[in-house]
Amino acid sequence: MKYNNRFYLFPLLCLFLVLTACEHDTDQFDGPGLVDRFGEFQLLEGLTISRATVDFSAGETVIFGARFNKRLNFTLRITGMESGSVKTIQGFDNELNANNAVWSGGTTMLPLFKREMCQVELIIPDENNLTLTGMVEIVGTKSYEGSLFTDFETPLGANLFTGNFEFELTNRTGRQNDMPAAQGDWYFLFEGTDNVVPNFFVGLADISARVTGETYIPFPTTVPEDLYFNAFIYADGGPHGIAVIQFVYDLNNTGLFEDGQDQTFQLAGDYPLDFTGWRQISHPMSDLGITQAQLSKMVGIRLLLISNMNSQPSPPLKVDYGIDFITFTAGGPLEL
Amino acid sequence: MKNILLLLAFSLGLICIQAPLLHAQDGSALPSDKEAEAKKVHFNGLGRTIIQQTELGGAIMDNNPEKVDRVTDGEFLLDLAINATPNEKSEVQAILRLRNEFGGFFGAGQSIEVRELWARGIIADIVRYRVGDMDMVMTPFTLFNPDEEGMVNNPSIFQPQKDLIYYEQFYAEGNQRRLQGAKVDMGLNFSKGLKSADVMAFISRIRGADFFTTPTRFVGGGSVDLLSNTFNDSLGLKADLGLNLAYTWDDLTVGEANSGIRNAVTTIDFDVTILEQSKMGLHLRGEVGRSNLNVLEEDSISVYKIDDTFLEVGAALELKPQHLTLSVSYVDVGPDFFSIGAQSKRIGFDRPKSYFNRVGADNMVRMPGLFDISRDRSMYTFQLSDRLMNYDPRLSNTSPYGRATPNRQGLRFGLDWKPADERIEASVTGAVLNEIRGQGTNELKSFNLIRAMANVNFDKMIDWKNKLRLTLGYQYENTSRSGLEVEKVDLNSNLLEIGLEAELFANFELLAGGTFLTSNGRDYIPLIETFNVVKDFPDPFVSDDTEALLGAGLRYNFKKDTYVTFQYQNYSFARKTDPNNDYTLSQVFVLYTMNF
Repeated sequence: MKYNNRFYLFPLLCLFLVLTACEHDTDQFDGPGLVDRFGEFQLLEGLTISRATVDFSAGETVIFGARFNKRLNFTLRITGMESGSVKTIQGFDNELNANNAVWSGGTTMLPLFKREMCQVELIIPDENNLTLTGMVEIVGTKSYEGSLFTDFETPLGANLFTGNFEFELTNRTGRQNDMPAAQGDWYFLFEGTDNVVPNFFVGLADISARVTGETYIPFPTTVPEDLYFNAFIYADGGPHGIAVIQFVYDLNNTGLFEDGQDQTFQLAGDYPLDFTGWRQISHPMSDLGITQAQLSKMVGIRLLLISNMNSQPSPPLKVDYGIDFITFTAGGPLEL
Repeated sequence: MKNILLLLAFSLGLICIQAPLLHAQDGSALPSDKEAEAKKVHFNGLGRTIIQQTELGGAIMDNNPEKVDRVTDGEFLLDLAINATPNEKSEVQAILRLRNEFGGFFGAGQSIEVRELWARGIIADIVRYRVGDMDMVMTPFTLFNPDEEGMVNNPSIFQPQKDLIYYEQFYAEGNQRRLQGAKVDMGLNFSKGLKSADVMAFISRIRGADFFTTPTRFVGGGSVDLLSNTFNDSLGLKADLGLNLAYTWDDLTVGEANSGIRNAVTTIDFDVTILEQSKMGLHLRGEVGRSNLNVLEEDSISVYKIDDTFLEVGAALELKPQHLTLSVSYVDVGPDFFSIGAQSKRIGFDRPKSYFNRVGADNMVRMPGLFDISRDRSMYTFQLSDRLMNYDPRLSNTSPYGRATPNRQGLRFGLDWKPADERIEASVTGAVLNEIRGQGTNELKSFNLIRAMANVNFDKMIDWKNKLRLTLGYQYENTSRSGLEVEKVDLNSNLLEIGLEAELFANFELLAGGTFLTSNGRDYIPLIETFNVVKDFPDPFVSDDTEALLGAGLRYNFKKDTYVTFQYQNYSFARKTDPNNDYTLSQVFVLYTMNF
């Protein structure tokens, strides 16, 4: 009987455990609200643009605003009326504000923005591509980080040597403004056909470091792993052209680029020109196998136009590319 | 060299086949003294050959005739278990796997690997230990491998492929989990009050570190199981009380990882025998406990902390003359209850499938169905997951994570009938549950579940010497929620299984069966990326589906667990919401399995 009394401790213990085990936090449901997520769409506040004109060079930004009754996917598309540049901001929210819809002058699709009028479109894909529009004017363009080598906006004079040794380059080769440049108004165009001396080589252009006002190229850092080369390259999709960019080390310490005496470095594989339009290329200088000591005495950059004769038909087709805004950045590629 | 080793090992295996059967492969029983004296090294294992051809058809192929529609593959493997008992208190076992893929020649597709390695023994005749691979199970809320969905009473025709999956994924009987680590246990007997006390502790590494961002993860814990003497002999009053701890943690002291988890689950389980007599037994059973989840960053800074409780308490009445057991229990598992060891599922519905993973013009990922669940081992896992894994609401919405499914409250019930003449055996289980906390709304979902199975042994009825058995399984599940139009949920599913086993001649069986699934309605499936935190709800899950898996074949049993079977199976998947992607899968296979 003594044991029987003890036995009843078990149900009591169970009851105690039951009473203490049924309290849960039920104040707020889990996840986003379904009404907020899947309910009928309502535009609570239309597209607002924080300023009519913006000077990105002074560090100004544009903040876009709008409010909906539920969270949804949105796309903000800003298009330069003159340059055709496009900046896209995408998000998923019920509000556009300073946290998710700020533009500091960068671009998503080259070319870079100019001082120009821009059209702003707020697109809601899930609501039959509902589009709200507005305008903003750029009065000062964004200043990009890094050290500019050249953007071809002013004539390079004696600092540019174009080598048309086999008379294969066309007259259009050189500084051009016949189409939108990737940055500003001018870019450098290479154009020619490897049909005189069929040896892959079409032409070259040497740009001296003195274009920067210095004897050697001023880099933001000379650590090869941290130093990034950046350039915008234009291609028309023709599959036979190859862009080669060589970096010239002043091996004989003359402070001048002397062909055959100085050492050049180039990226393995070079830059195939099988795309269309402007594209950014970036890579660390360590990819070239260059040392820190060599980086401190880079005396110029050589651009070459190569025609891939292995893939060319007969007679070979014209090859070309454009290049613009050659810069060097530290710590990572140029951020648009 | 590899080939020579392979040949040597295979020859050893063949020699062992000729030897008398001595030992269970899992090492579950120590050899007798006589045996130990006679032989200290034993060989046993498993050999398997499967060759199969799978063909994809239906509307999805009609619309994309250029796609590959047929796959033939298979494997030959030998798992050779080498078991040694160096002395009467120690035992070690290694299983070497020799595998060759169908079509693999001269080294290609061949592999030799260690499948299992463990040692065990007794220290001072008191403490048992085991190190290496081990199968562990504690309680359904601490460390447990819940059954997979998609079946109630699997027809025999589909069981060989299921057994193959279970073997490959180390799914041992009793919902055990395969772990790698160390375990000690001991038992004490008492003369008064308590009858016995069993103590067990274990530790296991469940994930290695990459020395950068992923820390080593361990799971450990133990249990104390106290069994009382009978309090009242006439009634049979006695109690069994268990204290359990399962603790999962990341080791942040090694490598560069600076973020890790601590997940502790502490429970008390009990089985109180109220009445145990010749005609009737009555038990009060249950488990109650708490989970804590803590996400730490460097210097033990807690960045996410949550805890919750659970309980399951009920009674089971056994009517012995009627061979009937009735049970009912009340369940309350908190929405924030989180137990890595118990909630990790067997099926990873987002894992890539071995066969036709992407189909159609857009190369869309094929939705897994009954066919994949019945045969594709790559969909299964024995790993522990630190987030609630994806599930298919058509197959299991009430308890996708087993009994430890969080955010459930209500009743579970069961009825089990097993008469002595074994002509018919049947069981029914069910649940009427609700959410405790809403998902995406304050409205709560309701779940109704019925699962029934029956085995009809015609051979016992007509007194036929050969086996003639019909197996049936059925599951009905309904999920509903009221509220605004976008909040409403109403999803129904029916799963029906029919199986036939007819032994035409001695050991020669005709097998046939089918599994059918229908599902219609709408639900929202939460997107969970970390722990049990609902991040979002993708598009509503809308279902109007029909699946049918049919099979027929022959099996010859050489002896228990050694057989050869030849089967044809056909599967069809139809979605009224996407008829252009309806498809069929058919397969022919030969499977030879030998346990020795």
